Amino acid sequence: MKGHKAITLILMILLCGVLVYVAEDIPDFGDPKAPAIKYVKLFHLEAGASENALNQGRIPETISIALKERKFPLPSRAEKTPGAENDWDVFIPKEEAYYPKEEKFYRIKKEGERLHLYRYAFVVRWIEKGFKETGAPNMVTHGLADYRGYDTLGETVVIFTAGVSVILLLRRRSRL
Amino acid sequence: MNSKKEEENVVIETASRIMIPFIQLFALYVITHGALGPGGGFQGGVVFASSYFLYIVVFNIIEGKKRLPESVYTTLSSTGLCIYAGVGLLSIILSFGMAQYLNYGFIPFTSHFEKNRSLGIDLVEIGVGITVMAVMVSIFFDLAGKEKKDKGE
Amino acid sequence: MVEWLTAEISSKYNYWVSILLMLIGFYAIIAKDNLIKKIIGLSIFQTAIFLFYISLGVVRKGTAPIVSEEMILKGYAYVNPLPHVLILTAIVVAVATTAVALSLIIRLYEEYGTIEETEIIGAIKRKEADQDRPAF
Repeated sequence: MKGHKAITLILMILLCGVLVYVAEDIPDFGDPKAPAIKYVKLFHLEAGASENALNQGRIPETISIALKERKFPLPSRAEKTPGAENDWDVFIPKEEAYYPKEEKFYRIKKEGERLHLYRYAFVVRWIEKGFKETGAPNMVTHGLADYRGYDTLGETVVIFTAGVSVILLLRRRSRL
Repeated sequence: MNSKKEEENVVIETASRIMIPFIQLFALYVITHGALGPGGGFQGGVVFASSYFLYIVVFNIIEGKKRLPESVYTTLSSTGLCIYAGVGLLSIILSFGMAQYLNYGFIPFTSHFEKNRSLGIDLVEIGVGITVMAVMVSIFFDLAGKEKKDKGE
Repeated sequence: MVEWLTAEISSKYNYWVSILLMLIGFYAIIAKDNLIKKIIGLSIFQTAIFLFYISLGVVRKGTAPIVSEEMILKGYAYVNPLPHVLILTAIVVAVATTAVALSLIIRLYEEYGTIEETEIIGAIKRKEADQDRPAF
């Protein structure tokens, strides 16, 4: 029986090599600028005097056409990001009952000659508006019971199923 | 020899009789303050069940079954799930026209939309805590109890 | 060369730790003979996956994701709360899986009288040879 243990050990070392090779590209531990936390890059365009239009709050046509080609939702207005230069927040209209009718979706950065277009992650809505919309200070609770309450219902069903299956396996009485 | 065994048991029995109510109080604190700090339904349910485990380990398993009989914990495990689904159905009924599942804002506890949501979260966490407690106790009784084999099963 | 290695190891040490735990657990599932040791290996494997997923969302000068005014004035940032939500569900599923697996081991013990995997396979093959038909 020593045969299959030796083969398993060699396989583990190969797997370790593959996983270490894959983990080189992941960002550092605790990096505050990692894209999974804030925003994800979509594409970039050439800037063509669109700064004036964005400063006033309108969206120039080149950006709308580029978004429509790639089948993203269309924006409604733009605003300057507080606390940073050359950055604008773009809103899209949204229909939800009893909530404000727009949502912050894109972010445009200007670097040199190009305009980079980013998209905000969903977590940004939790951190900024979660306390006002929900009334609970704990951000994990409004993820579990308010925005994603349906998942917690399925999980309670999983626990219930585990209890029922242990009863079925281990109780052998004549009338069950 | 018997008296020595009884002397050892007296120390453990007295200590656990004092500790068990405080463990249950801490578990209720973790469930209801799930929205203000770390905690929630699942964590509080498991801590509540661990007070029953302490009782079973110190005393007999037969005494444990007298304290929490079988019909009680099977009823409790269904009750918690019914509370969760019931809150969802209630919010569908009370939002006339636009049926929204688990949007607690429509249940008329108070007159503000946001305060209703925080009270709905507390109700849902209590339901989850009850279910988790009952299922953990049921699994423990099944894994630890020995049943005599019936004849010709 | 040595400086590059130490910089790589010290800045991404959470990935190396979770890879090591993953491989230990996976080896225990495949290569151990006792059934309970296999279940322990499964539990170690699941714990390594949870550690890896949560450590993706840590911010360097960050505090727990509970809204409070003092922390923002002091200059801290919030840790990403999304992985915590998903991992809570995964922990509960792991507990349910372990409970059902342990009850299956109890039934196997009552049927064959042993927990070693090789002896159970030997007993099944002897039953097949006695009755001259497949066991399942």
